[in-house]
Amino acid sequence: MQLVIDGVSKRYSGGNWALKGFTLELKPGGLGLLGPNGAGKTTLMSILATITRATEGRVTWNGRDVASHPDELRAVLGFLPQDFGVYPNLNVVEFLEYLAAVKGLDAATSRRRIDELLNLVNLTDVRKRPLGGYSGGMKQRVGIAQALLNDPQLLIVDEPTAGLDPEERVRFRNLLSDLSGVRIVILSTHIVSDVEATATDIALIAQGTLVAHASPEDLLRRVEGKVWEWVLPSAELNAAKQKYLISNTSRRSDGVHARVLADAPPDGAQPVTPNLEDAYLFCLSHHRAGVAA
Amino acid sequence: MNQARVLYHMVRADFLERVRRYSFLLTLAFAAYLAWGAATGRVVLRLDEYRGVFNSAWLGSMMTVVGTMFISLVGFYIVKNAILRDEQTRVGRILASTPMSRLLYTLAKSLSNFAVLTLMIAVLAMTALLMQFTHAEDTHYHLGTLLAPFLWVGIPAMAVTAAVAVLFETLPILRGGVGNVIYVFVWVGALAVSDKKGIDDYAGFFVIAHSMQTALKKVNPAYNNDFALNIGDSALVTKRFLWTGVDWTAAIIWHRMLWVLIALAIAGVASLFFHRFDPARAWSLRRKKPAAPASANGDALAAGPAAEGRALGTSGGHLTPLGPEARENRFWQLVVSELRLMLQGQRWWWYVVALGLLIASVASPTLEARSVVIAVAWLWPTLVWSQMGARESRFATESLIFSSARTLNRQLPAVWVAGFIVTMLTGGGYGIRLLTSTDWRGLLAWFAGALFIPSLALALGTLSGTSKPFEATYTVWWYLGPLNHAPGFDFVGSVAATRNPLFYVASSAVLMTAAYFGRRVRMAYV
Repeated sequence: MQLVIDGVSKRYSGGNWALKGFTLELKPGGLGLLGPNGAGKTTLMSILATITRATEGRVTWNGRDVASHPDELRAVLGFLPQDFGVYPNLNVVEFLEYLAAVKGLDAATSRRRIDELLNLVNLTDVRKRPLGGYSGGMKQRVGIAQALLNDPQLLIVDEPTAGLDPEERVRFRNLLSDLSGVRIVILSTHIVSDVEATATDIALIAQGTLVAHASPEDLLRRVEGKVWEWVLPSAELNAAKQKYLISNTSRRSDGVHARVLADAPPDGAQPVTPNLEDAYLFCLSHHRAGVAA
Repeated sequence: MNQARVLYHMVRADFLERVRRYSFLLTLAFAAYLAWGAATGRVVLRLDEYRGVFNSAWLGSMMTVVGTMFISLVGFYIVKNAILRDEQTRVGRILASTPMSRLLYTLAKSLSNFAVLTLMIAVLAMTALLMQFTHAEDTHYHLGTLLAPFLWVGIPAMAVTAAVAVLFETLPILRGGVGNVIYVFVWVGALAVSDKKGIDDYAGFFVIAHSMQTALKKVNPAYNNDFALNIGDSALVTKRFLWTGVDWTAAIIWHRMLWVLIALAIAGVASLFFHRFDPARAWSLRRKKPAAPASANGDALAAGPAAEGRALGTSGGHLTPLGPEARENRFWQLVVSELRLMLQGQRWWWYVVALGLLIASVASPTLEARSVVIAVAWLWPTLVWSQMGARESRFATESLIFSSARTLNRQLPAVWVAGFIVTMLTGGGYGIRLLTSTDWRGLLAWFAGALFIPSLALALGTLSGTSKPFEATYTVWWYLGPLNHAPGFDFVGSVAATRNPLFYVASSAVLMTAAYFGRRVRMAYV
């Protein structure tokens, strides 16, 4: 099971490049695709999900070109798009039965699978309610269920925790973590904590290019000794922001505790253990500095 | 900010948003096509065997009649999405949180609709001027005479059409497909009533007709009052007469301006029904049986303490692995699913009426009765067919469907087969009757019609991504063909003289091909 993204670029009408020469090789496990808004994540997800074509480069699934043989990938693909709709007059069972038929599942398998999925996403009790009456979070869980209908080998989820409350978000992270053992799971998000909880690998994307591809541990090592906690008066915070990259601040009785990313510490700052958000911001700022240079 | 300024900005923003969409080019293309048809003699205003000399009066009036006749029908469907667009773009929610009044909103939407329709009329006005120049039958250019019919007839007609479109959007029962079908009957009915009663119709057709007829009577007292707008039949015109235009008296202008006031009143009435983007109200209006509201935290995790305790994805669920055989191609299962999806949400009385029509088409004793019954039986499922090919776009499920395997070769044909089954079931009584009476030619014509309907629906749905083109086109076609047996339009073929099964079989093949390639273009991969 192998997905190879080889020099993929995408140009939209108007000449905007959403992706440029993106290359990545994936094996079973969870990949967190992290990047700021507009980085090209959704475009990459759409290309991998065979929704849109790459302008340049190619994607192969188990060595076969997806552009030439899209159905080979589609047969084993589960896709949860960032935005998707439902048929409002159907209930969740009817909707999933329909999509199961579209995906080519037989009736008996569909029924069994749908029961399991409704249990998994905790929609069993509302299975007879028309989807038009579902809340955003419930629809998102319908989306998760449909993505798992065909027991996909490649599961692509684009901003999956959007619309979920904090408790559901935790549950969904656990689910993704469980699923990623025997399949390739690609989780696209700009929420670092989602990736932290689920991914075995992280790809950082910015301005349509791959900034870094590494394990969370590797990324954390990159900022080892570069994260500092600095206590300063509130009045000096704005000036500090101009000078340093600050990943977090919290106000306390002794002043503002700022988390500073820098090679050398500001006066009086103490070293702290880096987290993934620090690593993410550090890599992005280095990338932007490189582009600007 | 005063109300006039608010209104101006609402109209301006809506108008700019429309005209900057690619679909607006199609709107202008339609107007240009009408203009081209009139300029090249494919659309002819005819009084028996006469037409007027191409002077400013005749060309201005002819183009106005062409414009108001077609744009008051087609234009309605073009602009009947002003409120829907604000829903889809979610701009409506922002507007709803402002002090904007309902009346101001419906008025703004009516004015924006009016601006779009007037732009189409303007294309025809420019063409009228060009026609006088190119045909040069009369080289005296009278701009006022040429533009007067556009001003006094075209503008009020567009105002009414624009406001009616907003009214239809605000009325729960008319905002969807039912409204699209009903408007055809409203339009035909309005013209028919004013024709019979001789009253001023909103399209202004008879103001101009009456003036032309009076003028021709003076030239030829034997003239029989025949007045027609012909498409592709210019050979019937063999003579010309001079007509100097409608005498725009104060009374006529007052009558025409009344339609503008009526349009404003319609916009006002629309404001009474406008839901102001209240999702609860919008939802309850769309559904007969409102769903129970989601719980306070908005979720079904709220299904109770027991449900709360089950973690999504960990302790509560188990997924059985599926083998490759579970993903095999099962076409007929997909057809059944498509059929269920198509008929889902139909109320019990829909089936009762369909069954009643089915029985009536078998039991009707005379051919005349049967031909009416089959026509109605094949109008009844219009809104079922109109979803074909458009459903994925309408409900934003394209990314889910198109990322599944063999969508183009399995799902699209399955939709067509499901639509064909609906056609056969609803019109089956008539088919059985033809079979038992061994009317093979009639049976062939009926079968060609059964092929044609789902093919037309699938092609228009796939190409446009909306159900509106089929609902409008099919209803007009149905009115002309199966109901009135106009030659060339009768796809049922219940009357031997107007049957043309080969044409409809061939058309079905062309439409199916168009649907296939239309869908192919929408998908990145096939």
